[in-house]
Amino acid sequence: MLRLINCQKATVLLDQRPDRALPWGPRASLWVHLRYCPYCKRYAKQTVLMAEWARAAATARAQAGPALPAAAKQRMRERLAEAGA
Amino acid sequence: MTPSVPQPAQWPDRYGDELFRFALSRVSDTTVAEELVQETFLSALDGLATFRAEASERTWLFVILRRKIIDHYRRQARTKQVSLDEASDGGATEADFFNLETGHWADAQMPVSWLNADAALEQQELHEILGRCQERLPAQQGAVFAMRFVEELSAEEICQELGLTASNYWVLVHRAKLQLRRCLEKHGLGKN
Repeated sequence: MLRLINCQKATVLLDQRPDRALPWGPRASLWVHLRYCPYCKRYAKQTVLMAEWARAAATARAQAGPALPAAAKQRMRERLAEAGA
Repeated sequence: MTPSVPQPAQWPDRYGDELFRFALSRVSDTTVAEELVQETFLSALDGLATFRAEASERTWLFVILRRKIIDHYRRQARTKQVSLDEASDGGATEADFFNLETGHWADAQMPVSWLNADAALEQQELHEILGRCQERLPAQQGAVFAMRFVEELSAEEICQELGLTASNYWVLVHRAKLQLRRCLEKHGLGKN
């Protein structure tokens, strides 16, 4: 039997969706909830976007960040030499 | 690929900048990023025997750095272990977002449209805001979020790394997403 769920439960299921296949019951409950709740429908899109942006932001930072400071580089050369490099 | 022989003395000059940028893209703190790169070089030197000649030296160093970053998240997550039944690890709980009686969104927390989010904010600005919002997450939530969505580890791997049960993991992911969403809206997304 189909169970009606509230927004709290719906958003939990939305956040579980990338990691596990939801069983039929919760999946159907979520589908029905999203048909009538505009806020959770927005959340469904936003939770996916946040994950995509987090990855993209890290990738962008890794490409555009500053260089390793010269002093740190020198210290690392010394540590490597001490360790037998 | 040309088979390579590792040349540890040259690592800081050859790979230092790239590894540092990668580390800094994950941990934000310059000193911590430097330490991670240094630890990477020293671990690689210790494990020279595990280097396979057909692999790229650069790829091998990145694999080691990535492992160091995951260790860093683990330490971060363990700095403050609080039961999820208590007041959470310093962050908001479901009660801050939902009406506890009905389970529906609390009035001030209802998601607004982000329809033009990409257009309204420059990509770089969006990334900066997201980075700042991520930093504000409580330690455990921040670590779980980064491991799942930046490093793209599976839920099972994260539970294993952090010693979490699946249900604790779901609570942390859900709270992290709820808080990030609210923080992003507060800082410019979804202005109508």
